[in-house]
Amino acid sequence: MISLIRSEFRKVFSTKLLFILIISAVAFALLQVFLLIFVTPPGLEEANQLMNPQYIKTITASAGSASIFLLILGIVAMSGEYRNQTITSTFLVAPVRWKVIVAKMATFAILAFFIAILLWLIVSITAMLLLTTQESAPFEWSGAFEILGGTVLGLVLYGVLGVAIGSLITSQVAAIIISLVWVLIVEALLSVFFATFGNWLPGGALNAILQTNGNPEAIDADLLSVPVGALVLIGYAAIFAIAAAFFTTKRDIT
Amino acid sequence: MSIVVEHLNKSFGSGVTAVRDLSFAAAPGKVTGFLGPNGAGKTTTLRCLLGLVAPTSGTATIDGVRYQEISNPINVVGASLEASGFHPARTARNHLRMIATAAQISGTRVDAVLDTVGLTAAADRKVGGYSLGMRQRLALGVALLGDPKVLILDEPANGLDPEGISWLRSFLRDQAATGVSVLVSSHVLSEVQQTVDDVIIIRSGSLVFQGSLHSLTEDGLPEVTVRGPNIGQLSIPGDWSLRESEPGEVVVTGATLEAVGRAAFEQSLELHELSSKAPDLEALFLGLTAEEVATSEGSQS
Repeated sequence: MISLIRSEFRKVFSTKLLFILIISAVAFALLQVFLLIFVTPPGLEEANQLMNPQYIKTITASAGSASIFLLILGIVAMSGEYRNQTITSTFLVAPVRWKVIVAKMATFAILAFFIAILLWLIVSITAMLLLTTQESAPFEWSGAFEILGGTVLGLVLYGVLGVAIGSLITSQVAAIIISLVWVLIVEALLSVFFATFGNWLPGGALNAILQTNGNPEAIDADLLSVPVGALVLIGYAAIFAIAAAFFTTKRDIT
Repeated sequence: MSIVVEHLNKSFGSGVTAVRDLSFAAAPGKVTGFLGPNGAGKTTTLRCLLGLVAPTSGTATIDGVRYQEISNPINVVGASLEASGFHPARTARNHLRMIATAAQISGTRVDAVLDTVGLTAAADRKVGGYSLGMRQRLALGVALLGDPKVLILDEPANGLDPEGISWLRSFLRDQAATGVSVLVSSHVLSEVQQTVDDVIIIRSGSLVFQGSLHSLTEDGLPEVTVRGPNIGQLSIPGDWSLRESEPGEVVVTGATLEAVGRAAFEQSLELHELSSKAPDLEALFLGLTAEEVATSEGSQS
């Protein structure tokens, strides 16, 4: 298993995919930080904003909302093996296929761990520097630290989910489109119209562990608690991982 | 280590039957040609052998076990299946390394293999810029990484230049000489004719011939050309056939040279030529496989 994981790292580092997605994730997170600091969210009293500890958490959670990039990374890496037919070599080396799935998930979980810490640092430091230019309350690291665990868990689990989705939907384009439509449209709509139900979806669970739904005024009670959110997201990742291993083992590689 | 396929059947979900009750064996120390037209089920059979496709019924084993049951299989079986199985942005060296790492094969072996297949100079170029022949060499390099005792190669000569084909021939002969079992597929008999000891010929997923290349030609009687001023009067037994190739010359099939000579002598015909030509292997192969083209349509190649 160790050698399979090492092989997966070689795969990742021998193409530019990882680099491109990290750059995109950083850019996305920073954009959110800028918007939250320089564009006052509607209906928010500036005075409140300056005092609101939730505000710091929401800014820091921008790192965690880059989870979608890990989802894409996992999808592209896994479905790419089918697209480029390297899956044949992969399964010739390791014909017990669930091991390949587990090795790839482990690889992207490890990568996601480091990317999460990197993003969290970049976001927190940027927020700290930008907030000093504003006449506002200083950046509170205690708030940022409360979000660190959720950011790491969110990115790790979305990376695992990505690998699972990439093995369930092996057409790369279809996998990416279906996932984006789900995250950006279906899940978003369900969360608006059926808020309670939406909380139990992967996106709702991610919001729970990041302690935000993007609105600095949000009251924590709207979301699942952090532990429940974590369990729900772990549950989704586990179910998808098992399905991925099962269907990959059954599949004919032609 | 021998390769044994027994009563192998494979139907795909779409109702296409790619392989029907196929049985054959490939012996160690020999190069076995696995022949058939495109769509005859060669690739599906090889993929069943390699654990990539699950047989509907029957077995495909290497040294008595299924591929999935071999621990660290690429040290036992080397396979090259198609030239396109590479990430275009990855270099050849990195492609080999990624496989070597998974199988715990050293980096020096990667360099050695690159050298064997003649890709050392191009090793750090992206595979996306490779020619078909270079991809074939890389695929063969992948097969050789584990220094295997069994080689399973799907159309390895495809895209190779004449120099590459001649190199491949001697390479496969050398491998067989050291006791490796080599199973090599092709849709063109002449491509492997000079390399193989045995041939397995399939058509529409079923076996039509298995045996030595020699025994394939033995069954086919030569074409006997007979020329003489009154040769049109030559009468022959019913199981021979005769056609006039040009005035004063006929071609007899279904009989030996001696038998045709005797018949002409008994009929007191003056002869100016009596010669035979060994049967054309390619024509023989086509004869074995050409029928039922319609039924093989749509099957997996």
